[in-house]
Formats: sequence, C-alpha cells, structure tokens
Amino acid sequence: MSSQQLTISLNEVLFFFTRAGFGVNAPIGVSEDFARSNIWLGENGFDPSLCSILSLDYLDEKKSSLVIELDDDGFRCSTNQYLSALQASVSAVDWIKSNKGSRLTIANVDSPLLVVASLGANQVDDWQIRWTDEAGDNYQVKMVADSKWQVITNSDNIIERSKGANMVLCSTSDDDEIVEGEVRNFDSAVEKNKILQTGVSVNEHWDTIYAYFARCLVKSTAESRASGAGAGLVDTD
Amino acid sequence: MPFSNKLDEAMMRRPEQVMRLDRMGSSFQTRLSFMRALIRRMSKDQWTFERLRQDVDDNGFGVSVYAAHTPERTYSLIAFTQDIPADMRTDRVIAEVWDATFNLFDGVPTQEDIDYLAQNTPTQEGGRYRPSELSLARANKSLRLFEHVVSSLADGKQPDVELLASVGYLMRTTAVYGSGKFGCADRAKIAERDECKVSFHMELLGVYLIRWFTIDLAETLAKRRGGDKAVTIEPNICRFIGVGNSTGLGMAPFLLKHPVLIHNWVSAKETALARVRSIETPHNDTLCSFVKAVKQLPQHLSEWRVADEVQSDRIEKLEIEIAKLSGWCEDETNLAKPYPWNGIYQFVEDNFSLECQEMVVSLIIEPHGELVDDLADTMFATTVPLFEADMPLAKLKTIVKDYYAWATDIDFSLPESQHHFWYYSEDKLEPRFGSTGVDEGVDQEMPLAIGRDADDLNEQLKTATGDITVGEFARQFPQFRHIIRRIQNTALRPYAEVQDNLLGEAMRPLDLLRFKLAFFGASKFDPKSDLWTRISMYQGAPMPNQLTDANHDDWAFPVRPKQVA
Repeated sequence: MSSQQLTISLNEVLFFFTRAGFGVNAPIGVSEDFARSNIWLGENGFDPSLCSILSLDYLDEKKSSLVIELDDDGFRCSTNQYLSALQASVSAVDWIKSNKGSRLTIANVDSPLLVVASLGANQVDDWQIRWTDEAGDNYQVKMVADSKWQVITNSDNIIERSKGANMVLCSTSDDDEIVEGEVRNFDSAVEKNKILQTGVSVNEHWDTIYAYFARCLVKSTAESRASGAGAGLVDTD
Repeated sequence: MPFSNKLDEAMMRRPEQVMRLDRMGSSFQTRLSFMRALIRRMSKDQWTFERLRQDVDDNGFGVSVYAAHTPERTYSLIAFTQDIPADMRTDRVIAEVWDATFNLFDGVPTQEDIDYLAQNTPTQEGGRYRPSELSLARANKSLRLFEHVVSSLADGKQPDVELLASVGYLMRTTAVYGSGKFGCADRAKIAERDECKVSFHMELLGVYLIRWFTIDLAETLAKRRGGDKAVTIEPNICRFIGVGNSTGLGMAPFLLKHPVLIHNWVSAKETALARVRSIETPHNDTLCSFVKAVKQLPQHLSEWRVADEVQSDRIEKLEIEIAKLSGWCEDETNLAKPYPWNGIYQFVEDNFSLECQEMVVSLIIEPHGELVDDLADTMFATTVPLFEADMPLAKLKTIVKDYYAWATDIDFSLPESQHHFWYYSEDKLEPRFGSTGVDEGVDQEMPLAIGRDADDLNEQLKTATGDITVGEFARQFPQFRHIIRRIQNTALRPYAEVQDNLLGEAMRPLDLLRFKLAFFGASKFDPKSDLWTRISMYQGAPMPNQLTDANHDDWAFPVRPKQVA
C-alpha cells in the first residue's frame, strides 16, 4: 500500500505505526504508545506520517536514541544523541501519571510534537508544554480540558517539523514564560468526528512509514505459502 | 412468572477450566452468539429488506444491491459477480480473484459510489475503501451445489435436500473485513449505534445479506434459464441454506490482541450458564424444550459429517453421549430434583467429553432467553488499554503471581515449549504459524507469546525491589512495557487470557478459531487441518421474509427439511 496521497483509517494508523516503530527497533510496548499518539494526531487533523517521519528516520539512522535517564534537571538522553520522542513520550506521561511533580524538563527531543500527542492521547489535562527548538522557534501547547487544546507559536515553520527541542512540561497555571504569537485552538472530540467521516490523509512520507512497517513482514517462500492456512491452492468443490 | 436472574457465584466456571485450548476448541454457538442476537434484533425492531438492484447477465455476472432498513437507517450490500478461471478459485487469503465480492455500505449507494467500488472491490486487498464502507468481503461458489440448485429450479424441481445438506451453502465467504481495514470505516464511527454496539454485528449483517443474495441469484438464474417452468426454493429448504466460510489463521491473532473483549464475551456466556444452573425450580416448559432438543440432536449430528479424523471421532463419541443423556433424562427422578439444570450440567461434566459438555452448555442456555438475552448486549468493549505507571511494582508482582501462574509454571527452556511462532507474511499480510528452526521470521515474531512474555517478566521482577513504580521499572526495562500493560488490564478480567502455551508443539490454532467462530454463531465445524476450518453460518436462520415467524429464533441445531418434489 503506497501512494503519494492516501486516506487511511484510525485502525490502520494503529496497525502500521505500531509496527513501524518496531521496525526501527523500538520495543513493541513503546511502539504501541507511539501509534496511539499518532492516532491522536490523526484525529486532530494532522498527517501522522509527517509528524513521525523524523523520529523514525533518526532512530533508524541512530541520530536519536531510546536510552533515557532522569536526573535533577529532568529527562535527557544518556548518549550524545537526540532523545527519541518515542521514549520521551512514554517517560513523560508515566512521570506525570505517577504524580512525581508539577514541572518536568526534557532535553534535546528529536520530535517534540510527539510528546504533545502522547499527553493528548493519555488525556493529560491542565498541563502545558513549552519548547524552543534548534531553529530558535518557540512553541507553547496547552492541554486544557474536555479534549480542548491550543498551540501558540511565533514561528512560520509548521509544528510538525519542529525538531531538537528542550521542553518544559508544567501546569497550565504556571505562567512564568508565555510564548506570544499565533493561537490555534483544537477540540479533539469535534475533530475526531470529522475524521471518522473522512479518514486520515497521509502524504509523501507514507511510503517511508510503510517501508519501516514492512520490516515486520516475513519473506514468503514456496514452502511457507504451501504451509499457510487455507485450502489447497485450488478449490473446485 | 418472570425468571429471576439470581446467580450463585459458585456456579460460575473458573477461568482455568474455561480458557483452556481443548475446551475452547470444543465450543458451540449459544443463543448469545452474535448471529443469533442479530436475528432477534432484526425481528424485534422489525427491520425490512429490499433488493434495490440486480443488473446481472444470464450467467449471473454483474452488480446487485440489497438493503436492510432498520428503524433509524439503511445499510446496503453491494455485490459484484464475475467469471473467474477455475484454476484460480482458492479460499486462501493469497487468492487474487473471487466469484463474488462485496461491501456493506453505510446508507444507500449512489451510482458514483458503485462506480468507485467497481474499480476497487473486485480486487479486495488491492483496492482502497472509504468510511462509507463498513465491511469488505468475498465469496466463492460451491460449484456443484450452485449449478444443481439453478438447474433443478429451472426444471421446476426443488433441489436435492441430501446434496444440499452435504454442502450447506451456495457460496462460502473466504474473508470478511471490517473495523478500518483497507480504509473502511473505523468501528468508532458506528459504535454508538444500537444495532452496531455488539461485536461484529455489522460484519455479520453483511454475511446475512450475502446469504440472501446467493439464494436470490440462484433463483434469478433459474428463472432466466427455465422461464415459466422455473420455481423458487421452498421456504423450509431456503431456510436451511446457509453461507459457508473458510477461516484460517487471521482470526487467531485477533483473539489474542483483544483480551478485554474476549473476557466480556466469555463472561457473558459463563454468566448465562451460571444463571441457568442457579435455578432451583424450573418452568416445566423449559425442561420439556430441553428434552425435546436432546431427542432431535441425533439427526443434527448425523448430518454433521466431516473428513477430518479427529473431528469425526469426536462427533461419533458425541452421538453416543447424547443418546446416553437422552436416556438419563427419561428417568424422571433425575430432572425432578432441585436445581435440575445444575444436575444436568454436573452429570455431563462428570461423565462425557468436552465436546458434549459444551454442546450441553448451549442446550441448557437455549430455553432461557428471558433470563439471559440481556447479556448479549454486553459483548463488546470500548476501553483502550492503559499503562498504569503509578502502580507499585510490588502490586505488579502480586498480580503476576496470582493471575499468571498458568504461564510461569510452563518451562520455556524446553524446545517444545517454544516450538512455534506467529508472523505476518509479506503475501498480503497473511498471518502464518511458523516452526522455530524450520521457518524464517523468528526475529519478526508477532507479540502474541503471552505466556512466555509473562514468564520472562516474572523472572525480571524477581531481581527488582518492590518499592519503585511500574513506570520506573518500565523505563529501565522498556521491553516489558507491552506485557505489563496487558497484565494490568487483564488482572480484573479473569476470562481474558487463553491459559495455555500458544507456542507449544501441541498447540492447534484450530481451537482458537472454533472458539471465536462459535461466538459468531457458526455451526458444522469442518476442520481441514490444524490451521483452518470450514463452517456454516446462518444455516436454519429465517430469511428476511421469515423474520416475523414465531419460530424465527429456533435455529440452534438445525436439521435438514423434508424433500419436496
């Protein structure tokens, strides 16, 4: 299944993205969370292949790492690489769900929007995420409540392409720093209903996502075809 | 007097008894099965059915549309039929052409919709579908029966009932896809609709319409061939015609990937059984119905003939055991005691095979619709499995110890304990069941080794202190995140797990297939190997014009009708 422009279902996002994560050697449990984050992105009208391609490419190219450590300053990659958003996402949500504190920093995340998506997918309300990426662009995302959230940015670059971010996660009531710029409001419930009627559009990066997924497939041989389930190769009854 | 749904908890069968492969592989449909519940809904809500279009040539090739009108909305089956080379007719997932291909459409399709699907549906997995399509399916003819029925009707004669009984269907489906596959509608689009809430109801509505389509097509072709001489199929014979199905390994991963759903299905069935066993004083008519059903069973069993030696032996034994049960029931003292249903169940469990036990479970639930039918509405799941990061690791250790002993007791160091693995083939993503050391693909194994993964986790947990959270543990050992989430979500759902080694050398995927197909409402299991089976669906179920008949729900174990000239 490959195409320059394609519409896929949310269930296909789950199926293909879980295995795409596994295809770049992320543990299957982490890949499942990654896929759930992509469902949330798809439900909100984003192209999940665009949002995820950098993180998958960087893991595959070993520019990013899944190895994470927590110190007094927060989460960081313990090697001299980007911290993979796949690992940063699950660690951040686990940290928040465990009530470990009200402020968390995460250093040098390859694809920060995936961390946002993981909070959304896990219905983490009343938290905000701020970051400055390696291009110097600033973003602030507020997860409000009742499936509502907003993005504020001073950047002309789309949030999906933001990379190399030092992130701060804190309560929405924490207004030490406020990003000023364009505000985009989302209501996930409303957006999801629209997507269920139309499907999720994926564009030029889909072929690469599929290629990572396809690493989970086993080459077929004459022997394996013959031993597969089902009738003989011809049924004439 | 209304039934009381009082339930004695002691009457609930234990998960370690129910969720074993050998018992699962002996399952039968019950009145809670999805096809049964769907037919009752159609009847209760007075659904109406309509053929909207039949543009087929004299060979039956073309496009047809059949609609089901519910009180709220319409669903349409779009059927494309074509001529295919005989040497390409196969039931395998890897097939490329089929006699008939279908979509269940949400609403009434426009010509534009039909034109779009005409380019996609005949190619099945090769096409792309939209949220307006709720399911995608295909079917092949039973060549010998289809032609026999058409030629008989064209000659003004009814088909040979014996031949019909030996096959059971005019076409058999070889795949029915739903829930977002290939771009079809996600389940979330329809999950809140009353008629869609219960698992697989839309897929099985599609199959019900396919059954009607096959019969209608045969009658149309007979009319074209025989003209005024042609007749239609006599109603009782028509009702006996089901839809066949070939089911392979695709169903097994689904079962293992949806533990909460499986718990809900099994819990409903086991609760129904426990409610019936808890009845102290039965209504006479329910006991009479049961005894009557037991006496009719030999005919049903005599018509269930398969080539598979294992299943054939089982059926033979079942026939003997049902005869003994029939004799036992004739002794009035056996049924006159308090809690007679429990008495019947216990007698069968103590004396007869698993096949007989599970058939009797179905039989004793059958007369108790008023008591159990509400449970059919609970057979779905909406929960997304969450990872509980704040759970103390000590609690996880306790859960594994208390609920996964069936897994940690298996010695996975033995080669025979890890003989198999599951993988997806690049051939149309066909699921396959490989053998370690024989087949390639161990590195791409599907994460379905539940017992082994739980055992590995248990070993790691032994080295960890209990005073950290599960989240901290998973950060250290992310390879266990998958199995931890599963365990956290199944601990309070006792029927969620198959409590056997799914990698073991003796493992038969067929047991999983039969278990699931029985919940669908399938009958006449006809295993072709340990990997796949043929079945009948809707055999004995009312046709659309029979849904208001008083006996519309009486098709648990159908028997062939009398031959009509």
